Amino acid sequence: MTGHRAGEIKGWRLRRFESPWVNPKLFWGAGLLLAIVALGIIGRAFWNLDLAFTGAAPLKLPPVGFENLRGQEGAWIHPIGTDGSGRDMLALIVIGAPNSLFVGLLASLIGMSLGIFLGFSAGFIGGRTDDVIRVVSDVMITIPPLLILVVVQSAWGDVSLTMMALLIAGFVWQSPTRLIRAQVLSMKQSGYVQMARLSGASTMHIMFREMLPNLVPYLFGSFIANVTTSIVTAVGLEVLGLGPQRIPTLGRTIYEAINAGALIQNLWWWWGIPTLLLGLMFIGLLLVNLGLDEVSNPRLRKL
Amino acid sequence: MNALNVTDLSIDFPTARGVVHALTDLSFSVARGRRLGIIGESGSGKTTTALAVMRMLASPGFVSGGSIRLADLNVLALPEEEMRRARLRRVSYIPQGAMNSLNPVMRVKDQLKDAIVTHEGRTEREVLRTRIEDAFAGVGLPEHVGSLYPHELSGGMKQRVCIALGVILNPELIIADEPTSALDVVTQRQVMQTLKDVQQGIGAALILIGHDMGLMAQSVDELVVLKDGILVEHGDMRRVIVNPRHPYTRELVASVPLVGGESFLGNSSVVPDVARPREGLPLLEFENVHKDYGGITALHPMSFSLCGDEPRIISIVGQSGSGKSTMGSIMLGFNPPSKGRVLFEGQDVAGMSPLQLWDFRKNVQAVFQDPYACFNPFYRVDHALSFPFRRFGYATSDAQVQDSMHEACRAVGLDPALILRRYPHELSGGQRQRLIVARALMLNPKLLIADEPVSMVDASLRATILKNIYDLKDRHGISIFYITHDLATAYHVSDFVMVLYKGQVVEAGPPKEVIGDPQHPYTQLLIASIPWPDPDRDWGGTTTAAEDIAALDASDRDALTVFRGDVPGFRLDVGA
Amino acid sequence: MGRIPRSYLLNRVVTLLLTVWIAATLIWIIPRLSPVDPADIMLGRMAAGAGAVENADQILERLKANFGLNDPLVVQYVKYIRNVVIFDFGLSTATFPTQVSTLIARALPWTVGLMLLSVVITFFIGNALGALMAWDRSPKLVRVAIPAAMVFTSIPPILSGLLLMWILAAKLRWFPLTGAYGLTVEPGWTWGFVQSVIHHGFLPALSIVIVTFGFWALGMRGLMITVQGEDYVTLAKAKGLRPRYILYRYMIRNAILPQITAFALKIGLLVAGQVLVERIFAYNGMGKLLYDAILDQDFPVIQGVSFVIILMTAVSVFLVDLVYPFVDPRVRHDGGEA
Repeated sequence: MTGHRAGEIKGWRLRRFESPWVNPKLFWGAGLLLAIVALGIIGRAFWNLDLAFTGAAPLKLPPVGFENLRGQEGAWIHPIGTDGSGRDMLALIVIGAPNSLFVGLLASLIGMSLGIFLGFSAGFIGGRTDDVIRVVSDVMITIPPLLILVVVQSAWGDVSLTMMALLIAGFVWQSPTRLIRAQVLSMKQSGYVQMARLSGASTMHIMFREMLPNLVPYLFGSFIANVTTSIVTAVGLEVLGLGPQRIPTLGRTIYEAINAGALIQNLWWWWGIPTLLLGLMFIGLLLVNLGLDEVSNPRLRKL
Repeated sequence: MNALNVTDLSIDFPTARGVVHALTDLSFSVARGRRLGIIGESGSGKTTTALAVMRMLASPGFVSGGSIRLADLNVLALPEEEMRRARLRRVSYIPQGAMNSLNPVMRVKDQLKDAIVTHEGRTEREVLRTRIEDAFAGVGLPEHVGSLYPHELSGGMKQRVCIALGVILNPELIIADEPTSALDVVTQRQVMQTLKDVQQGIGAALILIGHDMGLMAQSVDELVVLKDGILVEHGDMRRVIVNPRHPYTRELVASVPLVGGESFLGNSSVVPDVARPREGLPLLEFENVHKDYGGITALHPMSFSLCGDEPRIISIVGQSGSGKSTMGSIMLGFNPPSKGRVLFEGQDVAGMSPLQLWDFRKNVQAVFQDPYACFNPFYRVDHALSFPFRRFGYATSDAQVQDSMHEACRAVGLDPALILRRYPHELSGGQRQRLIVARALMLNPKLLIADEPVSMVDASLRATILKNIYDLKDRHGISIFYITHDLATAYHVSDFVMVLYKGQVVEAGPPKEVIGDPQHPYTQLLIASIPWPDPDRDWGGTTTAAEDIAALDASDRDALTVFRGDVPGFRLDVGA
Repeated sequence: MGRIPRSYLLNRVVTLLLTVWIAATLIWIIPRLSPVDPADIMLGRMAAGAGAVENADQILERLKANFGLNDPLVVQYVKYIRNVVIFDFGLSTATFPTQVSTLIARALPWTVGLMLLSVVITFFIGNALGALMAWDRSPKLVRVAIPAAMVFTSIPPILSGLLLMWILAAKLRWFPLTGAYGLTVEPGWTWGFVQSVIHHGFLPALSIVIVTFGFWALGMRGLMITVQGEDYVTLAKAKGLRPRYILYRYMIRNAILPQITAFALKIGLLVAGQVLVERIFAYNGMGKLLYDAILDQDFPVIQGVSFVIILMTAVSVFLVDLVYPFVDPRVRHDGGEA
């Protein structure tokens, strides 16, 4: 335990010394994510998004510079092609990609807040409250959210993007709760918290001024991991044909592509572009997470 | 022929901020059957030396010059595979921190077995078994210990396993790196004597690495004193201790307080006691306080009252597990007693209103054992001083807070300009602990609980910090509970001593009586186990250590507390 | 081997039962909280899809009985729990009147088989690689090449599945595009069938393996770096043990313990990932069953499949927890969580 704490303190120590926030992994990861956000913002400004709904274009048009099986060539009015019902792919991803990120961030944010609240409650109140929170989070962590959500959404029918994020948030609070609870319990014993108590500090002061700042690296890491889980879950639901039915999402586009046999028909842009975007999003998140790990645990920086 | 010859050994650690010379031109040798001590503070290069001999230096450290000869072997030139075969067979290493030296998922006998089989090839099962049993018997461990896992052993037993391992292949040289630093004094004496016995039994050379002059005096023939990687003194142990030539050695010898003799506090009572006239109610009272954890008694019922009219230092002395730290946390209101009441100026600590609690916190402060943990790594160190100062309403302006902090720092011998705006990791343990004392000084409480305030601080600083704490009483009229395992310091600073054993006060009274002339077998055992830095004061052999413990076990457990006298202002009652 | 402490065992059994009970209850409550009545959706779909169903009344009755819409809620709940205990999830509406449990029993072996193949193998490969990455005697190639490949492990199996399917099945035609075995082979213990199963199972398994081994490898690497600094490894070196022996018995043996705990926590997500892979490969397992049920609005099947997968997860976690005391003596003696 002490060894662990020493490592943690060292993390902060080095941070102050040589500012490891200037970390290539963190930089590239954040860059990728920001690029996806930028795609959403710039796309909205310069592209006609109605094309994602109308389906007025020729079907299955390839991106510029390619030819589809029927010998049609890509055209600049649909620079990355159209899908099976003639919707513009660019408009689809301009709407879909930031939406996926939005669901992930919102669900993770709510999950984190729940986790912080429950983790601190368990760690501070202790006793019965702690038991209940501990057991419930232990139990809930083994239940795959996807399967409960499948039941929820097939019973609910259509859901909005925000509603989906809220539903996912109901299943990503467990690991932050466990993490924070464990940290709070060990910090409660630490010298500086005892010193703060001796200094007449209120519980609120101890929680938010003494403990929380030291939890930040853990919270960041946990947050990013949760964003990934949330997006994976959302995409999973969409690929199963659930999730928002009226708004284009990357997962839903892939769902339609698979159902239409896009793989056999070599319509790679239909499923491939959303897949690529999701892939970049996950790689971005991974890089941010690895970067944060290195920030808080300098020993990992060996490679 | 010497078992080990080290000549002009230099070791460098290249770092981002330049090369650190961990060791510079070190030369010494040790013959078979002899014991050599290497003493120095943390960072003096003593463990680095040991690892260099094992050729196990952690990268990026490397040997930049000199030679190491292990009898006929040139250690630095040996191929890796041959060096591996020399380890344990020619030279064995007993590491620091026995707590974590054994593989937690292997039975301990298997951890001896794999060593034997690796070096000697397949051996018959029966032969192996008897050999391991003999090895355990040699270090005084019962047979069944072999089939236990490390977490089932006590610290002393683990260290014995490491010793058994160290001698099982009859090496020419044993290097023991602070083998007893994690153990209490009673166990330390037994383990050290076991180590000496087995070393003599196989006739190997022993290098003992440590920081405790007393332990060296009781254990080695020859002493090397290291400071910042440089040998400052080398000679016969008796000569070095009795007649140290280098000022640093003198400082090391002088830093170990002796029972009796001169006080390391120097002239006390330069300033007359600051009496705090008080109205009636005692400062702190225990009313039949009793504490148990799930049926295990940590503290037997006890009552005391500290009047507080005149400042007193009350020492609570005991080994780990004696309940002394439990007493401290009960006094601070962190840990409610199972039965009984703790009263602060007549008010039950358990049932205080927020205002009363604020007053209690304001007047009862503490210094904890671990100065590294006491500062929030997120803030600069002045946060720990200014926050309570404002919180308790002493602050009138920012400038005044600054002034008070500066004044308090200077009072404990720190330069405020250098210290206050730093982050905790930038300060040494000694500096941090002095800051905590400065904090107590600034808050000027009526009572201070000092729980092992110097046990994690380098020896040369201990006296200074204790002097700072003593000044709190002497100059500022603060009463202090001094919780410690160290009888010698308790002897010097306290007005009254309580010896705690298994949650019970076994002996209490003024220090001259209790520590100067102990009556209870446990107090006697504690005193006898202290390694005195005095070559003429014999620690006794293995048998004496065992006898002393047997005497304690034989003594009546329910024997009443031995009372050795009173001091005015403090009253102690034991039992329900 | 010592016995598992009773308190530990009790603790795990209670967790298992609680998990299953909470999952069953959630699955029961959710449709009842829904603003839309699933029975309506289904009836509407049936009426629209198959204009004149002969036994429409019978189906309606069955459905009402299934959802127990006429009973008080408590009675409905008790009946439901009783049925769940005997794996009775009612009748499928899409393939009426097949028992849901029959459909599940048909799909389950495929899922379990694929899981053993992919999830379990991945755990071993990932940890072995992670250990080699951190070991100071590994060839440099291992230590440098793997982290680069690691980037792709952030991708969920569904995406890697699509890519592999496109390259290896659609483009190169090395593997079949979909299904768990060829349409022309007769299921049975024949060589042809086994061959076909392996041929079909390869891609789904591969798409899970290539993206999850990195998770274990990264975790293991971190743990190995920690273990390398432990005193017992230092002492092992001082004992002159062979480096390879130290790697296995001292380092990996200790570093693997938190990984096993992590495995138990991760099973749920892995299973969910596999369900999606089965869906895109139209593999005859639970994933395809679930997907078909969603398409058909076959609510009893959705409920049944979700419950069984959660049960499977909970049982796997329980089994891992049962094994754990045998690899970590500290749990065996201390009893439960310390």
